Amino acid sequence: MGESVINTHGVIMPKHIISGLKFLAAVELRKKSYTQREIAEKLGMDRSTVSHYLNGRNLSWNSIEIAEVIVNLCPRDFSTLTYSLLKDREKTRTIVKICSNKKFECDVKNSCIGCGVCADTCFMNAIVLENLKAQIDSDWCCGCMMCWEICPTNSIEIKEVEDDGNNGNY
Amino acid sequence: METTETIENKNISVQRTGAEERKLQFKDELCTACGLCEKICPVSAIEVEPTGAMATTEQESSKVDINEEKCVLCGMCACICPYNALDMEIEGESIKTMEAYPKLIKSAEINDETCIYCKACETACPRDAIVIARELPERSKLVTGEIEIDKETCIDCGICEEMCPADAITMEHKQPTSDSPTVSSDINVDKDKCVYCLVCKKACPVDAITAVCRQCSYGEYDIKPEDAEIEGSSFIDDELCVDCGWCQEICPVDAATVEKAFEGKITYDQETCQGCETCVLACPCNVLSFPQSAESGDKPEKLHIDEKYCIYCGACEKACPVNAINVERTGIKTTPIKSKSWEKAFESVKN
Repeated sequence: MGESVINTHGVIMPKHIISGLKFLAAVELRKKSYTQREIAEKLGMDRSTVSHYLNGRNLSWNSIEIAEVIVNLCPRDFSTLTYSLLKDREKTRTIVKICSNKKFECDVKNSCIGCGVCADTCFMNAIVLENLKAQIDSDWCCGCMMCWEICPTNSIEIKEVEDDGNNGNY
Repeated sequence: METTETIENKNISVQRTGAEERKLQFKDELCTACGLCEKICPVSAIEVEPTGAMATTEQESSKVDINEEKCVLCGMCACICPYNALDMEIEGESIKTMEAYPKLIKSAEINDETCIYCKACETACPRDAIVIARELPERSKLVTGEIEIDKETCIDCGICEEMCPADAITMEHKQPTSDSPTVSSDINVDKDKCVYCLVCKKACPVDAITAVCRQCSYGEYDIKPEDAEIEGSSFIDDELCVDCGWCQEICPVDAATVEKAFEGKITYDQETCQGCETCVLACPCNVLSFPQSAESGDKPEKLHIDEKYCIYCGACEKACPVNAINVERTGIKTTPIKSKSWEKAFESVKN
């Protein structure tokens, strides 16, 4: 039951917030008709915990409230805060991708020199280099703009676009 | 993601850890301070030290300075360096082996089938990049005959021993005794040293030396072509070779082929030139020389430039303290470049 957290002391620990984030992600996935087994697999939890979470058990509402605040922060704060809690890039990108309610369109200009600094910076692993040019998968962009900021040749363009409800594949 | 720089014995290493590990390495001993890396760097992270004093005296610091706060490890400098002084590795693999990264098209080759192992290229190579290993035939097999000394007739005068230009004759000198009243106990010919010049035969006062000619007396002793064959092999050290063309130009049998990456032109202004010879010392390809001036201390005459050996790197231009030299690059040959910005950067080194 390592994933379940019962807060009996009124103190919110980082792991409680993580649980809150996982709860929000689980709810999001449930809305998209993922089965409990699939949800457990995606979020690295055991099935019983997913079941408890979805039934509103073993979780303090306070943790959920804080997680909701985090999810609604600006994209950069959302992803960096989530990373600082999870300390794991892969888990961060899963949570951010599922809970993000914004959509972005990315473009890389021909002035890109393929140095890969953006790819190294991207939490979401949305950037790969191809023929010495960065390619950004807009589907995975969380809009944190860290690549845009670090790019030495100002070659990255990111625009927020209207969410069409289709969040791509997780 | 973190970029760190380490300098050891003037060699620089800039490393970035992150999703993939990148490592840029600079080897000071191979650098000629030509300035191409500085010119192509898209983030102005490289500064090449002024060459003036560098050409004449050993310096304590590296020839280039890489600012790790600016360097983004794109690898352009490593791809343009004509001297292999810079290389970049991604996850331990050199970008020189990766298709995505453009490479200068340049090469130097020696065809062992044609090569006669004369070693002219080895001597001429300004970077000591060539080693010619050769195995010579046994000398005795190439000599047309041999001599025989009739020890009965020989009077042990030692004239042949003294005159032999190849030191092939040895007499065992001794004091005569009553039981052996001769001045020599023996006389011998070293057939490996004798070149059949017949000086001994002509000088011998008692005609004790007979010439045995292999060609005229014994047809079957004719020199066999296979006995005269010179075997060997050539080796070019790719790291040191700068594809300057010296081996190709000096080879008497056209066994060396060199392909150069840059095309261009050098011009110099004789009026401005002070004859300081910094350019001569800076040029890694021995393109430049001043004819020996009559008296030391005089300003040397006109600088002699032979573009046959030039790779248009620009080291001389950068080294000249009075800007008397101009190196113009008009062409650059690279493997296909798919990135627009890289194409532009490589074009930008032309002027």
